[in-house]
Amino acid sequence: MNGPVIDVEDVAFRYPTGTMPVSGLSFMVGRGEVFGLLGANGAGKTTTIKLLTTLLRPTRGRIRIAGLDTGREATVIKGRLGVVPQDNNLDPALDVRGNLVFHGLFHGLGKRETVRRAEQWLEPLGLKEKAREPVMRLSGGTKRKVMLAKAFMTEPELLILDEPTSGLDQETRSFIWQQITRHCRSHGTVLLSTHYPEEAEHLCDRVGVLRGGRLGETDQPAGMGTPVAGKIVALAPGLLRTSTPSGAA
Amino acid sequence: MRFVLAMLVRDFGADTRALRFAMIRLVIQPAVYLFVFGHVVGGMFSAGGSSYAETMAPGIVAIAIMSGPVTVIASSILPGYYYRTLEGWLLAPVSLRLLLVSKVLGGVFYGTVSGSVVVGLVWLLLGFAPVSLSLLLAIGVTAALFFSLLMLVILCLPRTPDKGQEAFSFVLMPLTFFGCTFYSHSMLDAPYSQLSLMLPTTYVSEGLRAAYNPSLPHLPLVQVMAGIGVSTLLLLPMAEWAFRRRLRDFLW
Repeated sequence: MNGPVIDVEDVAFRYPTGTMPVSGLSFMVGRGEVFGLLGANGAGKTTTIKLLTTLLRPTRGRIRIAGLDTGREATVIKGRLGVVPQDNNLDPALDVRGNLVFHGLFHGLGKRETVRRAEQWLEPLGLKEKAREPVMRLSGGTKRKVMLAKAFMTEPELLILDEPTSGLDQETRSFIWQQITRHCRSHGTVLLSTHYPEEAEHLCDRVGVLRGGRLGETDQPAGMGTPVAGKIVALAPGLLRTSTPSGAA
Repeated sequence: MRFVLAMLVRDFGADTRALRFAMIRLVIQPAVYLFVFGHVVGGMFSAGGSSYAETMAPGIVAIAIMSGPVTVIASSILPGYYYRTLEGWLLAPVSLRLLLVSKVLGGVFYGTVSGSVVVGLVWLLLGFAPVSLSLLLAIGVTAALFFSLLMLVILCLPRTPDKGQEAFSFVLMPLTFFGCTFYSHSMLDAPYSQLSLMLPTTYVSEGLRAAYNPSLPHLPLVQVMAGIGVSTLLLLPMAEWAFRRRLRDFLW
């Protein structure tokens, strides 16, 4: 298929409370691309990600993932996604290995293949020694690693990552960056929401800035001046600087 | 189907991990009930020609059948809400209906297992065995289905399942104590005998009495089957509606 992997057309979403974090949102992401979704807190990034992952249905507009409509073909779409949501959703009743194995089984992998892939991800993420530990005893960073292993282990066509490396040390972050790059080399696509400007610069082919529920501009990361995490981020070629906006503490 | 099996194994794995709590729920609690009400209280008086222990034992089996689905559904939905586990399941490539089916089947399985364990305990501690195993199984499985659906309605109907948790005592306590579990329907006078007919546990307990010993006073089997069947059929669309309404757009 040659069309865009993500095709969002004039999408709006209204919560039952009346809040409308996303309105008139349109953008496309091509195959093999890493698209960065930037924006200040409350700009609608997480709602956009929930819409893309079929957890929410648009109030208006249409979303297609790999040519499939998220409203009508959610089940097929979910089989092609690997998702790291903003909040961890690990199963507290299971240990680290159990979380990975059941994730694989729920995604239709055979038992042997699931176990193989779980082992394959435990080692490089430094989770091997913690494989039998209940996930609730893990630190925030380690929980994040398990979430990442879950997303990668099904070898999805589209990875949707909502601040995936928050709380991780630099070494693990570099490892995740490598995996994202490798994923794209094998024609996988990535949508990444991040608060780390260097992450956007390092990984993204294009970034878009969400403001007031719309995607204001999309460009290569090096060409954008973007408010990230309450700071003005100037993305210059090869150099990424952050500065506090005037008047801000 | 693979998803449903995986979910059943997950539920079972989660329960065996908490083995101590599972043992208390499955064995120790019903054993205490059976000992106190069967041996101690049961030895003190008779109930309409038969021993009180014989009248009460099927009621304890009914409570066990109810506790299985209550525990397994609650331990899925509540952590699903507090720890977002449900979000992970909703991201699996299965329909919402299949997720619902897997949870309901988990409840039915656990209800049947809990009931079977207590059937064994009744035999061991009191020496009573069911006369009709097929009737026991038919009533047990349908009752477990009913309680699974009821739990889904209780937890999915409110805006958040923690509010449903508050409804536990309002719904489960009357079902446990006023549903002819510790006494037979024939022991009740009007208007309590009529009121108890509004509770599905009455039909489950009375049906199990018929399965254990047809000569024990019990409601007619047709009434028992109609009572459990109609309640389950009414609850089925309600549970699906509540589940869809809460999870189709995942706002928890």
